[in-house]
Amino acid sequence: MNKTSNTFPRFELARRIEHLLMLLSFSALGITGIPQKFPGSQISVVIVNMLGGIENLRNIHHIAATVMMFGTLYHLLVMGYKIYVERRSMSMLPSFKDARDAWEALIYNFGFSKIRPQMGRYTFEEKVEYWAFVWGTVLMGLTGFMMWNPISTSNILPGEFIPAAKAAHGAEAILAVLAIIIWHMYGVHLRSFNKSMWTGKLTEEEMLHEHPLELADIKAGLVNQPIDPDLFRKRKRAYYPVAGVLAILMLAGVYGFVAVEETALKTIPMQPERLVSAYDPQTPTPMPTFAPTATPASVDAADLTWNSFVGPLFEQKCLMCHGALGGLSLATFEDAMAGGQSGVIILPGDGANSFLIEVQAPGGHLGQLSADELDLVQQWIDAGAPE
Amino acid sequence: MRIQKKGGSPVWASITLPLVGLIIAIAFGLPSTAEAAPAFSPTLSNDECLACHGEPGMSVMLESEEILFLTIDAGKFANSVHNLEEIGCVDCHTDITEFPHPERTDHSLREISLDFYTSCKECHQEEYDKTLDSMHERALAGGDTNAAICTDCHNPHTQARMTHPLTGEVLLLEKVKIPATCARCHNTIFETYKDSVHGENLTENYNQDVPSCIDCHGVHNIGDPTTTEFRVDSPALCASCHTDSDIMEKYDISTDVLESYVADFHGTTVTLFEQRYPEQDTNKPVCFDCHGIHDIKSPDDPEHGIALKENLLITCQRCHPEADVSFPDSWMSHYIPDAEHYPAVYYIDLFYKYLIPIVLGGMLVFVISDMVRRMINKKKGASH
Repeated sequence: MNKTSNTFPRFELARRIEHLLMLLSFSALGITGIPQKFPGSQISVVIVNMLGGIENLRNIHHIAATVMMFGTLYHLLVMGYKIYVERRSMSMLPSFKDARDAWEALIYNFGFSKIRPQMGRYTFEEKVEYWAFVWGTVLMGLTGFMMWNPISTSNILPGEFIPAAKAAHGAEAILAVLAIIIWHMYGVHLRSFNKSMWTGKLTEEEMLHEHPLELADIKAGLVNQPIDPDLFRKRKRAYYPVAGVLAILMLAGVYGFVAVEETALKTIPMQPERLVSAYDPQTPTPMPTFAPTATPASVDAADLTWNSFVGPLFEQKCLMCHGALGGLSLATFEDAMAGGQSGVIILPGDGANSFLIEVQAPGGHLGQLSADELDLVQQWIDAGAPE
Repeated sequence: MRIQKKGGSPVWASITLPLVGLIIAIAFGLPSTAEAAPAFSPTLSNDECLACHGEPGMSVMLESEEILFLTIDAGKFANSVHNLEEIGCVDCHTDITEFPHPERTDHSLREISLDFYTSCKECHQEEYDKTLDSMHERALAGGDTNAAICTDCHNPHTQARMTHPLTGEVLLLEKVKIPATCARCHNTIFETYKDSVHGENLTENYNQDVPSCIDCHGVHNIGDPTTTEFRVDSPALCASCHTDSDIMEKYDISTDVLESYVADFHGTTVTLFEQRYPEQDTNKPVCFDCHGIHDIKSPDDPEHGIALKENLLITCQRCHPEADVSFPDSWMSHYIPDAEHYPAVYYIDLFYKYLIPIVLGGMLVFVISDMVRRMINKKKGASH
């Protein structure tokens, strides 16, 4: 293969920078789009973690979208310049020949034809990609706007348009990314590595392979014919103000796109439950109360004996503990007089110093006698504790 | 009875005894609440204790001027799980070995409870360990003595069996009592809960399908429900019942709720957020932000249901104050779009379902045929 040093300019620097911007923003949008389309998948987790969280990821998505919008606006203005001022031929417009080229390429690939179709400046493959990108950018821009600004959108359109926009945005993204992987990767990188988007040039051999008709036009001197300088200047004078106004309008549009609404509060609204004190008890449940045991019918002070009064009183109030159990029995007169572990509890004739009274007087004993009862017991002891 | 460790204990015993225990454990499928039968040798029988403590009217005034009731309702105690499992009074009241009882120095009822409750772990170690991770324990450690301890929820003298001995599931009769138990300290929340679709069905209709407090908050290891972790985990919590078609079928409730939530902006964000910042707050709504927490109503509730557009709008406006009447329609109300519900979304999905394979397929036809053609040409040595 003989190398030819003859090269032909294909993309000027501005086009290449434009391509780079689109390449970067498209990739960023695609990568940051994956977790938003497939939140449950493992790759999404990896991407989210790599980019420092979903909020960051969404910001990157929005910045990339803005870059792409700027790129698109710039592209529109440049196209206006090329078409109006430079009067370039609109070689990117699809034509009937493209359909025929595609068909013939297919026929050739399948072996039904010996000749591959010859194409001009932009092959049908390149046009498919360009117009798919245009379609995708418009659709993604519109649906992206709806999702970015759902309240403004729902003020004009039915609310349903927002989930519909989300559905279209996600599906179109899958189509776009896969189309790039299949169509662009193959056509520009695999089939033969086309470096013209970086170097700006194609060799004569490459031109002959890919764009033979354009090469023929160049050689025939039909491309880039000089323009009359006066006319050129006149057109520029007419175009620049218009382009300036358009640029301002479009920039305002992008600003509106990005900043028109504050969709949601940034803070978390307080849940009423969080304002309820955690400890908020019911009115304390009433504890079980027991009816006080009736004091045995009052007795004649002269007839205070164990059998008439003290015995029955102790049986009712004390035997629960001081019966069969424990260190003191008050079950019988004899037991009571004998005392318990702590010694004698009843000193006949000296109620005040009897241990029984000493224990009961301050109150708080488990089987607490009432003041009246205790008084009577003391009187009984003072009287010699008769049986 | 204790197994005495002897000098020359036979080898078979050291192998077979644990094995036997294991087999028994498997055979009976012991639930988590099962006690490891403690080797108590009660010095006093329950009857001896109840001889006094079964009598009505026993009480003592504490220093705090609170009355400590010392009477045990023998009838209720007889039916308690502790009595049925033959747990003796002194197994818990370990300080009581004789009469008269040793003097206690507690000044108030709360002090007594706080002194006593750790004895539960002698049998319920697993549950006790769980409580150490709980919100209650943290409050208690922080000095809030009102924080619930074992005996605040389970009266050891009356507590009936709570769980099925084989499955470990909470018995219905006990499940219906749970909200009232929590209500002792969380009363306002209980008042809200009992009017909710869940609470009303549990407390009034004894419906076992609805959650009691512990189904969402957990039991023993009850966590802090105001954390981000609880918040971002809550959709999965709700989904544990709401994606169960066995339960939802009975009430004609959709089981697509989680899927449709995650597929939407809010759910997507929460799902992804959780991955990166499990400890940071997100302002994106989870189930309870729209449906309510303890006041959850049926969406079809004629008064409060969020199926009503005006109620839903108010809900949206809590986070989207600028939202207007058609904004709520941007949320598909858990519908999976079809020709009837959200047809625009449905038809767009349908369109792309065909467009994507057609376009990509067409591209592949070109690409693959081009690739093959080039390979054939190369083989033939045919220059272009």
